[in-house]
Amino acid sequence: MADVRYYDIRCVRGETTLVDIDNGVIESAGTSFFDKAVIRVLGPKGWGILTRDHVDIDSKREVNTLVEAAARLAAVTQDHLDLADAPRGVLPVPPLGEDPRDVDLEEKTRLLAGIEAAARVAGVGNTRARYTEGIDAVRFLDSSENEYSYEAVRSGFSVVAIASRNGVMQMGSERDHITTGFNLRGKQDLGRKAGEVAVSLLDAKLPKGGTKRAVLDPELAGVFTHEAVGHASEGDLVREGASVLGGRIGERIGCEGLVIVDDPTLHEFGFIPVDAEGVAVQRTEIIRDGILSSFLHNRETLAAVGNGIPGHARSEHGAPPIVRMSNTFIENGNAMYDEILSECKDGILLIGSRGGQVDPGRGVFQFNAEYGYLIEGGETTDMVRDVSLSGEILSTLHNIALVGNDRKMSPGYCGKGGQSVPVSDGAPHLLLENATIGGRGE
Amino acid sequence: MNGEDLIERILREGERRADEVEVFYARGESVSTEIKKGIIGTAEESEAWSMAIRTVKDGRIGFSSTGDPDRWKECLDAALASGGLATPQQWGGFPKPANLTSTASSSDGDLVVAVEDAAGMVADLLSGAAEHPVEVVGGGANLARSYLMVANTSGVLYGMNRTVAAVSLEAIREQSTGYEFDASPFRADIDARSVGEQAASLAARSLSGRDIATGRYDVVLSPVAAASILGHVLLPALSGRNVKAGRSFLADKLGEQVFDGSLSVYDDPFAPGLGSTTWDAEGIPTRRQVFVEQGVLGRFAYDLKTGYRYGEGSTGSAVRSGGEPPGIGVHNLFVDGPRAKEPGDERAVWIHDVVGAHTANPFSGDFSVEISNPFWMEGGDLVEPIRTAMLSGNVFEMLREIGGLGKDTRRVGRLTIPSIRLNNQQIIGK
Repeated sequence: MADVRYYDIRCVRGETTLVDIDNGVIESAGTSFFDKAVIRVLGPKGWGILTRDHVDIDSKREVNTLVEAAARLAAVTQDHLDLADAPRGVLPVPPLGEDPRDVDLEEKTRLLAGIEAAARVAGVGNTRARYTEGIDAVRFLDSSENEYSYEAVRSGFSVVAIASRNGVMQMGSERDHITTGFNLRGKQDLGRKAGEVAVSLLDAKLPKGGTKRAVLDPELAGVFTHEAVGHASEGDLVREGASVLGGRIGERIGCEGLVIVDDPTLHEFGFIPVDAEGVAVQRTEIIRDGILSSFLHNRETLAAVGNGIPGHARSEHGAPPIVRMSNTFIENGNAMYDEILSECKDGILLIGSRGGQVDPGRGVFQFNAEYGYLIEGGETTDMVRDVSLSGEILSTLHNIALVGNDRKMSPGYCGKGGQSVPVSDGAPHLLLENATIGGRGE
Repeated sequence: MNGEDLIERILREGERRADEVEVFYARGESVSTEIKKGIIGTAEESEAWSMAIRTVKDGRIGFSSTGDPDRWKECLDAALASGGLATPQQWGGFPKPANLTSTASSSDGDLVVAVEDAAGMVADLLSGAAEHPVEVVGGGANLARSYLMVANTSGVLYGMNRTVAAVSLEAIREQSTGYEFDASPFRADIDARSVGEQAASLAARSLSGRDIATGRYDVVLSPVAAASILGHVLLPALSGRNVKAGRSFLADKLGEQVFDGSLSVYDDPFAPGLGSTTWDAEGIPTRRQVFVEQGVLGRFAYDLKTGYRYGEGSTGSAVRSGGEPPGIGVHNLFVDGPRAKEPGDERAVWIHDVVGAHTANPFSGDFSVEISNPFWMEGGDLVEPIRTAMLSGNVFEMLREIGGLGKDTRRVGRLTIPSIRLNNQQIIGK
């Protein structure tokens, strides 16, 4: 196979268990099965990629046939790319506190029902809870004789409460996902919190939009980190010219002391023991002391762009690997939370996340808080709802006035190129100057 | 064993252990070519196979799915085990075979799933983009063909072909970006060159936008922006499950004037579109459903499970995605009305797309999003780019009184929608 410079095969076989409880009714509780494979061949120019259900990775004949088919696809590509050499190695997966497979479906359903019931506080009209468990058995081999296998176990839930009064409907939601064991025990508090937030939002005000000082809580500051910095530092976007951070390594893009990291080795929800190309994972400091220092790379973007660290290739089951974040965060600073509030004086405190999005080429991002409070004279006052924040990547990090000392990580899922992967984001409390706040209040 | 034989085996085996069994089977192939550095960087070919089983026993519905034919027995066991835990409910049985007289066009006999054709579409995209001074930073072409079957122990056995041709292109000029796309069951509908030209034109023309001051403005949402905002708020509010659970803003408003008198919203599964079909994901014959007629709310969408539970009857609105159980959705949703007033006559802020529509509050309808490729529009023409801003509003409030619908109706996924003029909306400048 003269036209094959490299090939790899990655198979993920496993089970997904879902439990869905809606207003006390068990809508579904069950397990489904998948078995996906992706075969990639690097031809004389670019990639030919096959995706299949159910491939026997141990059958040399099947593998050869698939590699030949992928090589024929690669022949239509024109963009010449190379793969950088990268360190190999697989980290041990974190030990499981309690293996979710040792807990039967009935008990999972009962525990989830307890969380869902806890959300039904006075004033809440609807509650819904969802348990998600994934067991992935991953196998990888490539033409350079690298081979590895590991198992990933994920377990977690989300709970949503909706309160309504006089035609006004508000929601509170909580979620918690881990990679270190079974995650449904002792979590009723989160259900109750979702219910209480929903009820208090009925009396919350709509904030007035405009430019002001904002304090971001660790969860929202994590989403800010992910949207405002993380995506734009992904090597594939940089290579294509689709990121405003391209060509800016060594430039100051944030305040002194600011450190922003993506670290797939942490045992948070975005943990991976090895990346989807078989490359060893390592902590990557995207921004060090306010200076852009590393891009996130896979082997091809490292070869093309440089200035960064490989080991950031990830993929959803049955999809080709692309450059992704894993556990992304701002390192702790020195400011105490009270100091941040009093320094803010008049502004807005934003809490929790309803998600966000970025246009990395234009350098513009948006994200939405679950709720917030007005800050007046350094104290939090009225609760506000439906408030979002937008900003520009190149200026926004200069506007971080204070970095707290209370970093927390929050789990979630990130979408890119039609693929969704588990991630976590985090930061300490942040004080942001000149934040553009979106809200409908007059 | 091929899919059809396996379906029969699962139905017979399942029937011994449950009152009723249903199998949904899908197989498909697709090719795609992806643009990197302005030329083809990746060529991909996929084959997919999946089977989903539902069992019903004493009103308890069980579900499981698999992508591995060898695990069908495990999958059937898992469906039955899942049914053992589900809360029992009113259940009147899976549908019996119906005489499907309608036709739906969801498949293009001439569409060939060949990488050379996808590569040709990329060449057309790029030649369109070359008409403007921009860099192409992404995009590609996709051709797909699939075969879907639903079968149950009441004798239903329906099969259909689906095809999709899709293209997209992303362009940049300095810090100005443009993205365009199109998708259809029919290869001939796709004008890749024009999609490439449009994306490049957006990037080129949005350069050097001027700031806009915070305030109230008349706004025109392009079909893309309108579909994005409405898709996240209006669609969930029409689902019978959300209505009965108290999660829909529209729940207690049947028969009321909820939107502007010129607006109608309907699902037409027989119109040509990505969701066209004569039977839904549970084998119920589909019908044209008018949800909102001239602003008056007429009905909601139901699947079998929600329909039986609340005595409403299925509206043939079941859809499936991935390996999940069927849920309530739409096939080809139209937002429609007379194009009496051209929406661009008076000066307005025209908005091509929005960033962050998924962060809208689906229950209250409140949203505030970043806007993409905004322009001042005068006499129907885009005269001057605007740099950047946010748009805040409430979907249900803004549809109560619209300023008019444009003549530029287009298909955006499963929605077919014109541009919508909205007067006196809140823009937050920077």
